[in-house]
Amino acid sequence: MISNGAEIGKLTLLSLVWLTIVFTAVWMATWAVGILLPMLLQNGLGERAMLINEILRFVTPVVSILVFIPINAMFMVLIERRALALFTVRKGPNIVGPDGYLQTAADAVKLLFKEDITPIGADAVMFTLAPIVFFAPSIFGAVPLLAAVTNNHALFQVLNLPTGIFYVLAAASVPVVALVMAGWSSNNKYSLVGGLRSAAQAISYEIPLVLSIITICVLAGTLDLVKITEQQAGGILNWNLLGGGALSGIDKYLAAMISGQPVGSILQASYPFSALSAVATGALICCTIISFWLYLTGACAEINRIPFDLPEAESELVSGYNTEYSGIKFAIFFLAEFTNLFVVSSIATVMFLGGGDNPIPVWILDKLPLVPQLVQALRDSFLVQTLHLINPETLFSTLWVILKVYSLVFFAILIRGTLPRFRIDQLMDFGWKRLIPLSLIVFVIVVFARGLVNCHG
Amino acid sequence: MSTEAKPPAQPEAPLEPGKFGQFLKEHGISTNRLPDSCGVETITISADDLHQALKLLRSSQETKLDLLITVSGVDNNDTIDAVYHLWSYYNNDELVLKVMTPKASIPEGKLPEVPSISNFWSAANWHERETYDLAGVRFTGHPYPRRILNPWDWEGHPLRRDYKQPADDLNSKHRVSFR
Amino acid sequence: MATELVKTEDFRSDDLRTDDLRTDEMIINMGPQHPATHGVLRLILTLDGEKVKHVEPILGHLHRAQEWQGQNRTWFQYQALIDRVDYLSGMFTSWAMARSCEQLDGITVPPRAEYLRVMVAEMNRISSHLLWLGTYLIDLGAMFGFPFYPFREREKLLDLFEEISGQRMMFNYIRIGGVHRDPKAEWFQKVRKFTEEFPQRVDEYEAIVTENPIFLKRTKGVGILKQSVAKDYGVTGPCIRCSGIPLDLRRTKPYSVYPELKFDVITYDKEGDTWDRYMARILEMRQSNEIIKQCLDMIPAGEIMGKKQMAGMRIKAGEGFAAVESPRGIIGCYVTSTGGEKPFRFRWRNPSFCNLSVLSELLVGSPIADIMAIFGSIDVILPDVDR
Repeated sequence: MISNGAEIGKLTLLSLVWLTIVFTAVWMATWAVGILLPMLLQNGLGERAMLINEILRFVTPVVSILVFIPINAMFMVLIERRALALFTVRKGPNIVGPDGYLQTAADAVKLLFKEDITPIGADAVMFTLAPIVFFAPSIFGAVPLLAAVTNNHALFQVLNLPTGIFYVLAAASVPVVALVMAGWSSNNKYSLVGGLRSAAQAISYEIPLVLSIITICVLAGTLDLVKITEQQAGGILNWNLLGGGALSGIDKYLAAMISGQPVGSILQASYPFSALSAVATGALICCTIISFWLYLTGACAEINRIPFDLPEAESELVSGYNTEYSGIKFAIFFLAEFTNLFVVSSIATVMFLGGGDNPIPVWILDKLPLVPQLVQALRDSFLVQTLHLINPETLFSTLWVILKVYSLVFFAILIRGTLPRFRIDQLMDFGWKRLIPLSLIVFVIVVFARGLVNCHG
Repeated sequence: MSTEAKPPAQPEAPLEPGKFGQFLKEHGISTNRLPDSCGVETITISADDLHQALKLLRSSQETKLDLLITVSGVDNNDTIDAVYHLWSYYNNDELVLKVMTPKASIPEGKLPEVPSISNFWSAANWHERETYDLAGVRFTGHPYPRRILNPWDWEGHPLRRDYKQPADDLNSKHRVSFR
Repeated sequence: MATELVKTEDFRSDDLRTDDLRTDEMIINMGPQHPATHGVLRLILTLDGEKVKHVEPILGHLHRAQEWQGQNRTWFQYQALIDRVDYLSGMFTSWAMARSCEQLDGITVPPRAEYLRVMVAEMNRISSHLLWLGTYLIDLGAMFGFPFYPFREREKLLDLFEEISGQRMMFNYIRIGGVHRDPKAEWFQKVRKFTEEFPQRVDEYEAIVTENPIFLKRTKGVGILKQSVAKDYGVTGPCIRCSGIPLDLRRTKPYSVYPELKFDVITYDKEGDTWDRYMARILEMRQSNEIIKQCLDMIPAGEIMGKKQMAGMRIKAGEGFAAVESPRGIIGCYVTSTGGEKPFRFRWRNPSFCNLSVLSELLVGSPIADIMAIFGSIDVILPDVDR
């Protein structure tokens, strides 16, 4: 019995429209810089365009990220407000633009034109630097993810690193410095308490976060984000969420069985110690699911969202570290918070949910009617052949990534709409006495169970 | 101030002491009984006996008046009263206790003085501060005798009959306030 | 004692702190412009790390000289003002004043008016507790989710109030001598419909909140109000009932038609923490709902006004104190009359004022995050404190 069906419909429509806008804009910008411009240059300058093309190769991913982040943050703020309104029997912003679609755009303009105040007694340099230090890592950190989430698209390959996840985690741990800087330099006691809280919290919760990621890396045998994504291709049974490749053998077995090939030793190859392997498989599946939960919890704490939003606990610390910020500096904090939410969701997607992989196993997908024909028609179309506007390999995986990432974002909003806030000592207890031991246990089990089953690595 | 404001009529002959008046008399504290206020025993007591009387009333098993409802200050035209409403958490007893200071006995420019009971009854703390603030009764021995509702640099006691509103003062541009 | 600085030795032992790691204490000014001080309370906190060492509440930011106005308005004029004393439970302030004046003047209130008073007062109690529930969750940091649901029910109640009094919050419905208007028959139908729906709504709230692990963690064992402390500070209302004293004026000093109604005093035989106070209010809402149901069945027909209200009304000379049990505790009114057009002295006994004074005792030793959990659980309305 859904009494607010109309509101849900509006919210869905809003998300679809905004997502279309966001990703069309991003892809058009990327395409213009990365494909159209070199194409035109090639026609006009011939051989001499080589140097410029080289430069453009590096510029393209940065352009796409810089275009993406502000529009995406606008969309996420709007969807968060509307979704929270939906959960709490309110209307939400619905005045500016058609049904409130432009509310956050108007907010952004407002914030840009507001007076930028530096309080008396604040350390002006630190005060200005803090939002920048907070924001910059979320750009740098997102860079290696680009190749992974776009199925290793040619435009973004240049920024792929063999130690991708390590780099992403390193970048993600920088913002806490900015929070301490902001808290200390504001000359405000609430800010100071907020900054110190955020430092304590980030240090405690980074450990389970990283341990859960390491668990996956041990299963995958690599730190390269693109490789981790590629390993998980071929349906939900291959995803790291379900045992990190422990079910691949079953996947292959089923595929062979359905296509009528000999199934002979497929199971034997994947599960060498029959009964023991079965137990190990079960353990791995449990462990990876726990890891996923650990990751989500740690990520929630890392990006200061309810129920772990103690650094900016409104009912206690006014607004925590950003109490004194106004205008564009506040806008940057705001932007970075939502970008961080997007980034951690993307990491979860790449590490656990198979990146751009569709959840339907290949052996079912091939049997479905119309799918291969559709793909072929797309491949032959004008857009692909002449303008290189759409890349069929990337298109579907990108759609899946968008679906997965925004589902996680929506989940975070749902949590925000439900739970009260922890107290700081309870938060620390929860981190050190529950999450860290649990993540260590999971790690140890995975290390042993992995020897008994053929995993991705 | 209202010209027709008069104190409630005083009785001619002294009344017989009621339940609590009798109780206090047994413990050597003399009281005067006033006409009951809506059926509740009302007594006056001298400022010196107040401490002892309230301690007795609060803690003795017979009375158990352990809920201090309010301490109020009333500016009757010729006396300034501190009025204590005592209730009990456990039974239906009520008592109104008054300390009346005749205005004639107050030196010029001074406030009437009543001993503070907030040292043994925390409930009185804020009530006494408020009474001091609004009605101008000084509670001697109060641990923190500051104004509570008005600003700390406020002049005068608004519920006095002779209070003048500082209208001009409020409009002055260069007021320095501690708040 | 409230104002004495707690000695440092009490704090050195209970922490991880050792003597060679001494830190300065920090003084924080919480409020009056703070999102969670329920209006304009100002707390000067002395913190040791995140632990509170000393609290000094500073009041008066909302002081509107209600008692002074009582002396300078006629009885009739002042009646319209006093809803503002406690704007969330205006019926009770009106009722306290009406009772004190009726006592003085010897007015008997017709039974229909008494039943109507009980009904609207209990509805007001529900609406006040609902608002408390929402804001308390906000105090605990559930900023966006649950807090808006109680407002849904409160909205229905406010509509009902609007129908009988023309106002959503400043009702001026209970008058000296009776009530202002006799509601239409449809109004009673609507109230009955509300009382039938309401228990299910409370079930919904309880399903989300009562057993929520984070909520339990934040409230269980926090802000324990000892019975001796509560008695010392003159705490009343749900706070004292949770600390084991069954002081509910509706039963202990029954007034109006409460003796004819069936309900029990909600009390716990222990020293209550914030969770108990939450639970007591939830139970009180259910109980009030039952009382309204009984009133709907028992209400007689007849007059609603004992004495005609008019601009020049006078009250007989004398003095008296009358109190009613408001959602926050005993709200009392000490009135002195000389038989004139204006009251001689009006004195309010506000539950928030008395309950708030215990705050400095409760907060000492708790972490900064619990300030709002404890402060919220006392249920203080700042206009009621400052008057």
